Amino acid sequence: MGNPLLVLWYRMFADDEAERERGLRATAVKTQHPSSGALPHTPDWLADGNLPGMPDQPSAGILLVLRRIRIPLIVLIVIFAISVLGLALVPGEDAQGRPTRMTIFEAFYFMSFTATTIGFGEIPDAFTDAQRMWVTLAIFLSVIGWAYAIGSLLGLMQDRAFRRALARRHFANKVSHMAEPFLMLVGYGNATKHLARSLDDMGRRFVVVDGDENRLAGVDLASYRADTPTLLGDARDTRELLLAGLGHRHCEGVVALTGHDETNLDVAMTSSLLRPGLPVIARASSREIAERMRAAGDPVVVNPLDRFGDHLRILLRSPSAYQLMVWLTSAPGTPLPARREPLPRGRWVVCGYGRFGRELTADLRAEGLQVTAVEAPAPHDGGGYTFDGVDLEQASAFVAATEDDMTNLWLVERARRANPGAFVVTLENRATNVSLFNAIGVDFGLQPAEVIAHEVVARLANPALMRFLPQVPRQDEAWAARMVQTLVERSGTGTPDLWLVRLSRHESEALERWMAGDGLRLGALLRSPLGRERYLDAVVLVVLRDGTAAIAPDDDFLLLRDDELLLAGGSTARRELDATLTDEPTAAYVIDGVFAPSSWIWRKYSRQGRAAPRAGM
Amino acid sequence: MNLEKVIFGFFVLLAATLNFGFFIGPLGDPEVHNVYELFAAVVVNLIATVLKFGDRTQIGAVHLATSLVASLQLIAASVVWTYATAVTEAGLTREMTASVVSLSGGALFANVVSVVLLVVETVSFQRR
Repeated sequence: MGNPLLVLWYRMFADDEAERERGLRATAVKTQHPSSGALPHTPDWLADGNLPGMPDQPSAGILLVLRRIRIPLIVLIVIFAISVLGLALVPGEDAQGRPTRMTIFEAFYFMSFTATTIGFGEIPDAFTDAQRMWVTLAIFLSVIGWAYAIGSLLGLMQDRAFRRALARRHFANKVSHMAEPFLMLVGYGNATKHLARSLDDMGRRFVVVDGDENRLAGVDLASYRADTPTLLGDARDTRELLLAGLGHRHCEGVVALTGHDETNLDVAMTSSLLRPGLPVIARASSREIAERMRAAGDPVVVNPLDRFGDHLRILLRSPSAYQLMVWLTSAPGTPLPARREPLPRGRWVVCGYGRFGRELTADLRAEGLQVTAVEAPAPHDGGGYTFDGVDLEQASAFVAATEDDMTNLWLVERARRANPGAFVVTLENRATNVSLFNAIGVDFGLQPAEVIAHEVVARLANPALMRFLPQVPRQDEAWAARMVQTLVERSGTGTPDLWLVRLSRHESEALERWMAGDGLRLGALLRSPLGRERYLDAVVLVVLRDGTAAIAPDDDFLLLRDDELLLAGGSTARRELDATLTDEPTAAYVIDGVFAPSSWIWRKYSRQGRAAPRAGM
Repeated sequence: MNLEKVIFGFFVLLAATLNFGFFIGPLGDPEVHNVYELFAAVVVNLIATVLKFGDRTQIGAVHLATSLVASLQLIAASVVWTYATAVTEAGLTREMTASVVSLSGGALFANVVSVVLLVVETVSFQRR
């Protein structure tokens, strides 16, 4: 609080003494935190928050300053405008004592030299007392305005604590006024960045909690379409979570993807205890942590290392299924990723550390591969990798999956030298190292941050999607390829919109006629209201009925009342289907090809006429 | 609802409406163009310009550009008005009024572009 004016301003806006005390104390505690709360045993590479990420653009700092001087500038403009206008309206007298008024230009001139403390005196004529009263007020107003504007600029560089306190208040206000469902994202590392971008594209709201000021500034600069409140604070503190809206009625879920297992565990447990039933998605890097997370509630635990094995298995079974799954879980509009070549099915050599390496080996063996594991030395004893008896030269694929990127690069280099033709798979722990892996020529690289983001998007995008995705790897390659083909034909190469349609009495009233009868064939419903010979540009991924799920049903599939359909397609198809579901004449045309009257009068008069086809249904 | 967007939309629209209010009427007739309305238009345009600072998106950049154009045009109009009333002997003649009003007409065009951008931005973002 270097600037007395800032203190004044702050007091004007702070409600009560206690609130301010608390805010300041909380910031004081937090500034100590990084030293006392360091977690020495958390694997360093996992703390993706440590990454500065991609270097910021040079204009970023200027933009931040520009954003923050908006209010002082507007205050200045308003004060100036009020003063000038008032001065032009207050009656005055000229040298001969005749009533006159200053023109706006004269008032502007006078205010300009007065506000900047130059003070040429009362011109063009000596002022009346009324004018002097107004000028007195204007002088004080403009002094405050200028001092505030300049003080804010200086304060921007100096006073962090003040900014933080103000930001907290602002945040609390924004969160409490949140009038639509929002998610709480804890930690703003690479995985969360991916996720936030996708969520924003899907039109979802979220708040972000993180302990690092620079990362939060990234939220501000990411220019999300929706207003995104951010809180600088320690997520392990329950009060911070509550401030971030854990108790808010519109909070629809908590996502904790920080690099610290303990933080994620704390968040998961706090949420489960304070808001039982609230969906929680948390990242864990070990089984123990995952177990402890599940002890308190029912969170979805995401373990990027586990997923590494899963991804390889899916890719081994069916490249098209892998393509489909990655595509459907990308941000809306993402182009279709290229289909990968089938992985070689010869002998694999796996280099991984500890239990993760063993699990990966087991995963691959479960797919019927012959696997040779190379146990990594413990990180502290400094021993090297031994490739005795591994016979790298004869291996068809090589996996470098240690927790250290440099080690992985070295392993790849080593494998390449022994066997240039081997297929190389790597775990790319840090997003900043991806270019290194690309340079060395890796055949398949997996980034934990991206994997996590895809999985969380899949879970958040639409609950029904998780009924579909796990079924995909169980189908064969031809099925998946056909599915991708159909999706591309119907909705283009951008990730399709996903939406859920419930054929209930309320949500699709226009279909009541058919639902009350024998049901409705899927192929009859998915036609365009603009011309029923054309299919809607949408694909039904899954039909949910009484807890069972039918995957990718064909045109003859019989729909019954209260079925839930998960559709993928363009937004046009969505609007067209909405019309079919809610407007009975449209439905009649789409399904039966009958032009039913749409106005009330005509419908009333043709009631008898329409009774016949209805009975026939 | 996002309060920031409400304020933003309010000022952008108010800038355009005030500008229109000043502009409308016969071009050279000083009677029908109120100088206080011009003053209000300048102030609100300046506020709208400042509100557009610091947006990194493409549409934000175009927004700022249109606002700068409108502000400059309006400031030019008020400079001409001041010149006419305070400096020239003849005062606010038909020619001078016409030039003030036509300058504000240019600003009005920029403001209309601003409003169109606002509408496009709103329409292109559908949240379901």
